[in-house]
Amino acid sequence: MLVTKSVAELCALLIDELHGELPSRIFAILLSKGRSTLPQLAQYTSMTPRQLRHGLAVLQQHNLLFYHVDSGAEFAAYEANADHAYNLARTGKILEMIDSSFGAPAKDVMQSLLLSGQTRISDLVAAYQVKIEHANKAAAAIGDDHDFGAETNGVNGDLHPAKKAGALVKSTAHLNSIICRLVEAELIDVVHTKTFESHQDVLKTVEKEVMDKHFPAGIKGNKAKIELQERIAEGLRKVRGESKSLKRKLEQNGTAAKRRKLFAGIGMANGVHEEDMDPALDPRQVIRVNYEKCLVDLRNRRLVHFATDMLGDTTAYVYGVLLKLLTRDLPRCRPDAVMDAGEEAKEESEKGPGPVTTEQILDSLKTSVDLSLGIGKAERRLVSSTAAEKIELYPPKKKVLIEEAEVDGEASADEEESDNNNNSSEESDYESDYKAPATNGTNGVNGTNGAKVKFDESAAPKERRLDRPTQLRQHLLILSESTQRFVRHCGPNEWTVDFTPLMNSLRETELDSVIERTAGRQGLRLVRILRAKGKLDEKALPNVALMRKPELQQKMMEMQTAGFVHVQEVPRDLKADVKKSFFLWFCDVDRSLDRLLDTSYQTMVHCIQVLEALRQKERDVLETTKRSDVRGREKDTMRKEYYERYSRFLECERKLFAQVMRVDDLVSVLRDF
Amino acid sequence: MSGRGGRGGRGRGGPMANGRRAVAQNSVPWAMDSDIVLDGKPSELFPPYNLPKAPLLSKKEDKQVSYFLLFREQCQDSALYTQARSWTQASGGTARTYGQDQVNRRYGQVTKATVDPFTAVPTYSHRFKTVPRTLPDLGSRPFAKEFFPPELHATLEGEDEPPAAAAAAAAKRRRVGPKTLGLSNITSYKTAEELFLPEVAQQKGVGGDANLDKALQLLNSMEKRNEDGDEEAFLSGEDDDDWVKGNGDDDEDAAADEDDQYEDESGDDYNAEAYFDGNQDDEDGDEGGDEGGDFF
Repeated sequence: MLVTKSVAELCALLIDELHGELPSRIFAILLSKGRSTLPQLAQYTSMTPRQLRHGLAVLQQHNLLFYHVDSGAEFAAYEANADHAYNLARTGKILEMIDSSFGAPAKDVMQSLLLSGQTRISDLVAAYQVKIEHANKAAAAIGDDHDFGAETNGVNGDLHPAKKAGALVKSTAHLNSIICRLVEAELIDVVHTKTFESHQDVLKTVEKEVMDKHFPAGIKGNKAKIELQERIAEGLRKVRGESKSLKRKLEQNGTAAKRRKLFAGIGMANGVHEEDMDPALDPRQVIRVNYEKCLVDLRNRRLVHFATDMLGDTTAYVYGVLLKLLTRDLPRCRPDAVMDAGEEAKEESEKGPGPVTTEQILDSLKTSVDLSLGIGKAERRLVSSTAAEKIELYPPKKKVLIEEAEVDGEASADEEESDNNNNSSEESDYESDYKAPATNGTNGVNGTNGAKVKFDESAAPKERRLDRPTQLRQHLLILSESTQRFVRHCGPNEWTVDFTPLMNSLRETELDSVIERTAGRQGLRLVRILRAKGKLDEKALPNVALMRKPELQQKMMEMQTAGFVHVQEVPRDLKADVKKSFFLWFCDVDRSLDRLLDTSYQTMVHCIQVLEALRQKERDVLETTKRSDVRGREKDTMRKEYYERYSRFLECERKLFAQVMRVDDLVSVLRDF
Repeated sequence: MSGRGGRGGRGRGGPMANGRRAVAQNSVPWAMDSDIVLDGKPSELFPPYNLPKAPLLSKKEDKQVSYFLLFREQCQDSALYTQARSWTQASGGTARTYGQDQVNRRYGQVTKATVDPFTAVPTYSHRFKTVPRTLPDLGSRPFAKEFFPPELHATLEGEDEPPAAAAAAAAKRRRVGPKTLGLSNITSYKTAEELFLPEVAQQKGVGGDANLDKALQLLNSMEKRNEDGDEEAFLSGEDDDDWVKGNGDDDEDAAADEDDQYEDESGDDYNAEAYFDGNQDDEDGDEGGDEGGDFF
């Protein structure tokens, strides 16, 4: 896998920070030299094979490697897994996400799993057993008079978490149930024999298998080629599906949600019942963290944040619930090009997330949330309900002529069901031009009348206080009407999200904010003009932008160096005279985004390097704090100025890592979501 | 190449230069654009720079950073963490390196040159110092071995020893009982806020317990070490893992004043006599490799 220099540096630094120097050195070499075997590595690094073996073992344990052993070969070929290495920077986010959506005990388990890499379930259980026993013993030894203390701990959380952590996971049954929950959410998956093969290796093996099995005579003709592609995709999906075996097994027993529904009222209050109902996991299974699914959840959070910025809290909350329902079975943010190719052709529903109905959202909303907030009130006649309630059956970017006609046909049929008053010509007009009813007065009224029938069916007769489903519907309509297209109204009372265009608009928003920060509002304005007009001649730009020429040129130069706008020289004749040629300004969003991504990596690298420099500067202090008699009691044992220096260092460290995480927000939007 | 071309052009001079000047006269910015105002002042040496300041951490971000730092702390506490950087800016190392050799020399070297004369004299407090690990302690925890390439299996068992030390270490290494995956008992990372506001901690009624708890933890760790049977190691402050011991033996005859902390080679890399031997072993590994067990 190829990565840029800054990514390679970043990965090495992150591994150095978390797993130590030896694996980091090996990882850096693996990234720069590519796939290598042990003797090759020894040659590249001039480290001893023993060191290398230890380092490789650590990397492998933390899922940072791919390896492949050819049959008959003596040495395995190792390859760096740069994605997972980069994901180390996201650890804090993932843990926080788990903490807020699954609770502190689950976070504890997840942390242990991240800490120890891939782990056999029995080992994990044993480790927790030791810990639990230890905690119990400590609790018993401390006795009753400390019960009070323990209680206050519970309240103030972080200050005294030693005991709290002991009590986090109460029993092995509890642990079991936590693992089950996480497996069901796909945040944990099973390690199988193919997990550590790189994508190319898996592809090659599957290809070979398919060729041997189905095409022993070779491929002839287009039809066979397509079939080959399909079979390969199928094989790859099968390999990929293996990691979900544990989830499938759990599903056979019925998921937690189902059971909760079945036993509602019996064991709802105390979780103990639920724990008992979870099936015991096979202790021989080896589990690890599934970053792909973690990213899906992180994307949901990012989108909710985006919606909060654009629309408001309550609407964003509704959106969060919708996303959670929608992405429950979505395994990754971006579909794999090879693997999902066949899938797309086979069943449409598998490709995009399926629709979610209003009732489903209503069921999973918390009753404490007041939905009446965040909805504006407008006069009935000012709102064009037909336009607002417009149903789009297909994602926007699909522009195939025949299909479009089909959309029209179906939509009008739909419309026919809901209101029979309108004649079909008017409808097709409204369908073809979205804006028409809103601008045209009579038409708008007409539309309102038409939809009123439907609206009144669901809404309460009282106009002032809308009931909960209607309010929810309003929120969803706001989401689908927004310029960012948060939600698509894909059927009567059905909603879905088209992630690709939505993420593109989010990316553009991020780019705009970066431009605004670096080049000011004028710069952003110029970029927007260029985006609207396409390529603009240098001489025409001042007129369009209504700016003075020198100022404009300076601004454009500034933005060109930052990589937000680009210039193209078009000679008028063969001589390519500079004076006579055109200079066209344009802005290429993709190129700017790539540039931005690279700058982000460099920023992250820089942050960690600064931290290292700080460490060198405060070396004497840090060495003291590492001593076993000082650690944890820095305040009491250290001299005042030393202590102050230490706390200043800690603060800087926090800020630097926070910066890394913020930049990672940007990177994940640009690259992963 | 370009330099030469430039000189040639100037040398030729004559009509060529004239022609160029004609172009140049018209195409300089102030000729093309009459509105441009030029100021001949030199630019300021240190112009005021508007440094953007990051906004304060939100509550969520704060939590994320805390979790990350806690995780890092636990990672660095684990048996697989290695850190033996001998390179520091203060000790005269340069940031630039030429070749892998020099890069490698930054790590795990203890020589007379790298020792700080002010702190190197043994003192009582040295026993509290944690010795940085140069190789991960793989033998102490269980692994799911089927997911590792076969060449690493011996290493995972902790049986990857240099041949000289292997025999000596073998007896000691055998741990009794099953290996357990140790969960980190570090559960808090001191935040700057906590450090700055110790009174708050006191108010909340746990400040008094902190010391007690720390002592308890220390006691616990002592007990644990007792069980493991290397009490002496703990008390005497030198964490003599098996490999360190092996290293010591090697060093006696090596009589090297350069003591590589990577025990297996223990400076043999730089020992001219052993140089060829070591190298040969390497080559063996390259070609045959079936005797993988006995090289190093």
